[in-house]
Parts: sequence; structure tokens; C-alpha cells
Amino acid sequence: MPEARRTSEALDGHHFEVVVIGAGMAGLASALRLAMFGKSVLLLEKHYVVGGLNSFFARGGRKFDVGLHAVTNFPPNGSAKVSPLIRLCRQLRIPFEELALSPQSFSRVAFPDVDLRFDNEFSFFLSEVERLFPREQDRFQKLLRTMEAFDAYSPEVAGDVSARSILGEHLQEPLLIEILLCPTCYYGSAVENDIDFASFVMLFDAIFRQGLARPLDGIRRFLDPILKRYEELGGKRRMNLGVKRIFTKNDKVERLELDNGESIFADHVISTCGVVETEQMLSSASADVKTDDIGRISILESIAVFKEQPADFGWEETIVFYNDADFFRYERPYELTDPRSGVICIPNNYRYPEGEQMPEGQLRVTCLANYDKWVALDENNYRLQKEICRKAMLDVALGYLPNGKSIGKDLEERTELLDIFSPRTITKFTGHLDGALYGSPRKSRDGSTPFGNLYLAGADQGYVGIVGAMLGGVAIANNRILRGD
Amino acid sequence: MDKEKVKKIVLDIIAEIAPDEDLTDVKSEIRLRDQLDLDSMDFLDIVMELRKQHGIEVPEAEYRQLESLDSSAEYLFPKFEAKAVA
Repeated sequence: MPEARRTSEALDGHHFEVVVIGAGMAGLASALRLAMFGKSVLLLEKHYVVGGLNSFFARGGRKFDVGLHAVTNFPPNGSAKVSPLIRLCRQLRIPFEELALSPQSFSRVAFPDVDLRFDNEFSFFLSEVERLFPREQDRFQKLLRTMEAFDAYSPEVAGDVSARSILGEHLQEPLLIEILLCPTCYYGSAVENDIDFASFVMLFDAIFRQGLARPLDGIRRFLDPILKRYEELGGKRRMNLGVKRIFTKNDKVERLELDNGESIFADHVISTCGVVETEQMLSSASADVKTDDIGRISILESIAVFKEQPADFGWEETIVFYNDADFFRYERPYELTDPRSGVICIPNNYRYPEGEQMPEGQLRVTCLANYDKWVALDENNYRLQKEICRKAMLDVALGYLPNGKSIGKDLEERTELLDIFSPRTITKFTGHLDGALYGSPRKSRDGSTPFGNLYLAGADQGYVGIVGAMLGGVAIANNRILRGD
Repeated sequence: MDKEKVKKIVLDIIAEIAPDEDLTDVKSEIRLRDQLDLDSMDFLDIVMELRKQHGIEVPEAEYRQLESLDSSAEYLFPKFEAKAVA
């Protein structure tokens, strides 16, 4: 495109080479990539903060991360380059050190009678599998080889192969299968009671082969440098402004109508809103949404803040994935929440640099929740049920921490602050229908849509985790817009 | 401009996009992929930086011309020369 035309368009403020809808991790990463190579980019965000599911909020003078338990893909010692996180840092030209990531202490997968520990040394995880499932050794090694031979990141990979069935073909002890599914589903499955094999491989590598880490300051360590670079490069961003309609003509997007009635023109549009959410915005949309395509996995998360450091109670672990039965149920519960299984996160227990620590203790507990039930509540009942469900969740979760039941008795009095977010909150931050944590079960790996200049990025690309979401955004910018430009 | 300068330009770009790579001992005749940890995303960045910093266009079908420093120099040198004349 001639330079002069580009400048006048940018000045005009209503015509951009690329409009990115949604300033979550994928949207931010793709917008930055495009701005790096001189594209005129407008990033639109419906909410008043960036980050989407991985945003942050303030309560009682404290700042909290919304979705972040752990940054996965932390490169293991001596093999830094194998991690997709290093790829991402290169692509965004953000030095890895700038993210100031601190590794986890250790984490656990806790089932009845089985407590598997892992840390950021893959060999430790392997030794735990061997200790707990000695008869599965050869079969587990074969599974690892199958996974190694599988290019989970390839855009051409089939997104609908059941991990449960592949695990079943390789392993004989059902409990090991459930134990492998539990952390991987919780950290990224959009389907019930299973996860697609590509996502499983990505998450297995991200959690076990690589590892978990967190910056002391939380997600803002990722968001701040990206925003700063994006703005230095002249990228435009408008907040509190969603897209009402995407007008198409002859299989192309012609114009976007914003919530305030303004029209914006774009050569390319990247939507990170989700596959169904984007379809609903199309001027050609049919009234009936295919409800099968709306994700059913949503959560309730409670955060308790107290003065003590959790290690003072003897709680040294970082993450605990727990399940009270031999079978792992990963599905929309019949009731508001299902406290029988969940994830505990103790962000204090990352190994921060000497002398640095979060000033207060934090205990986060997440359980699966039913969006429809939460939406049906009136305001009074909503507040009441949040409190009832929080207590029920905490009660079960504490049973998975050392001396948790006895310490839990007076934890309520020690608690300085409580916060809870529900499926309703997830919709508020992400715009996902039905508070779907990981979007729709229908994924578009290469981001293609029936419209030549409209691409999907983010949750419904099927790249999982913070690192996956951002790499997905980068891939769309690279393959759809920069390459062959 | 000579071919050694072209190699230097390519190496400087790699240093920029992959600051964690050790470039002190890169062999001109060996494929970059075989001695450095570079993937297709990194090669796209080399192409994008050649355009941004030097106004040199590399069509997608010709990305593989950049597989080693020697092949890059052979391929890019005439483009730099044409640029200098223009």
C-alpha cells in the first residue's frame, strides 16, 4: 500500500490496515506483531482493562489477577530453547528476563489414595509416575514417544481426536489416565470429560515437561511491556468500545459498526471474541445460534487473603489439582458448583527472588460451575449463593492441604479479604457466551472463516494457556497478514 | 557493499531477533537451522527486517534462499546493488 494513503488513513482514524477485536492475550500479541512491521492497527476492547481472561482487578486496595494461576511452559534448566515461551519472547522482542518469572515450589495431583507430586524437573514427574504406577512403565514410555512424535502446534493438526481414547489405547490403569486428564483439562479443555489430543500434548508439555512459574507482580508483568511497545510503535487502542456488527459483502468484511454507532473500515479483521460470538456479530448472521458450539465449561473461583504466609501453616505447595473419586468428572455440574473436584493455587509459593514475597497470604480455589444456574439468580440470591458455594468449595479444598481442616477452622477469622468470581464475571471480562472459560469446543486452528479478510484468534484457535493464546495471535498475524504481504 | 557486508547485515538481524543465540562461530556455508535454533517464525522475521531496515523484498517462494549466510549473500547481494544504483 502506498505510504501516503496509509498515513491519511491513520489520521482519519476510521480506516486501518488491521482491526483487532479484543485486547486479551491473543489480541495484544497479534496487534503488537503487526505494529512492529509498520501496519496501522486499531485494537478494540469492550471492557475497561486489557488482558481478557488474564486481566487484573483491584479490591480493598489490593490488586488481583483474574485468571492467572500459573504461567506454564517455563523453560527447564539447560534446555531453555525448547519452550514455546522463548519462541513467544522472540516474536514479541521482549527479553525473557523482563517477565521476571519465578518457578513453582512443587505441585500435586491429589486423588483418593494417590498423591502425585511434580515440580519443574520432568525427571521428578517421571519418577513419581514410576513410584505410583510401576506396572505402567513401558506403556507410559510408549505414550511419551507417541506424544513426542505428534506436532501439536501444527496448524494442520486434527483438533477433534479424543485424548481419553488415545490414553486408553496406551495405558491399562484407569487411575493414571484420570490423573493425567485432571490437570490438562482444568488448564485448557473446552470439551466436557475429555480434551482433544493436540491440546493434551501441548498442556502436558507446558505443565510437566516444561513447568510452572509466575512473576511476583502477576500478569501485569506480561501486559505492561506489550502495551508499552505497542504504543511506542504507534498502535492505536480504544477501550470500553465493542463491535456491534460486522458488515460483510462478497465474502469479505467491509465495515465494522461499533457500540457507539461509529463505522470503522479495515483491510483485515482479527476477531478474538470466539467463534460463535464472532458469528453472531456478522450482518449475515442467522438468528438461531448453534448452541452445541457454545462452551459448557465454566468456573467459580474464590480468593481468600490473610496476613500469614501459607508456608507458616505448613502449606508449601503451589498448585493442587484435586478430585474426590477415581473418575474425574469434567463437566457442567447440575448444581451451581461442584465442590468435589477443583484446583488450589497458592501464589505465595513460587520461589521469588531472595527477600521478595507477596505481602499477604493468598489461597485461590476454583471449581466447575453451571452458567445457567448462576445467571438465573437475582442479585440478593447471587450474593448469598456465592458465599454458600465459596464455603462448600473451601471446605473440600482444605482437606487436600496439610492440616487444612484444623487450620481452616479459624481461617475465616484470619481472612482479611474475600473475593469470588463466577461464570457471570468471566463473561464480563472475556465476552464469552455462557461464561465459557476456554471458549467453544469448535476450534479453528488456522483462524480461517468463510470471509477472506476475517480471521479468528485466541481461545477458539485451540492454542492453550497464556503462552498458547499469545502464540496463536502471533501465528495469525504472521501467516495471514505479514507473510506474503 | 560486498557479500561480506550482506552476511554482516543478516547476522545483525539474527542477533536482534534471537538475542539468546551465540553467533560468534556461525559458519557461512552451513545451514543456519543446523547450527542455530531458528524456526520458520524466525526466518519470517529476517525477511520482515530486511524489508523494514533495508527496503529489500524477499517473496515467500524465495525464503529458502536465506538458508545459510553464503546463500543469503549470493541471493541478497544483487538486490542491495540494485538498491544502491536506484
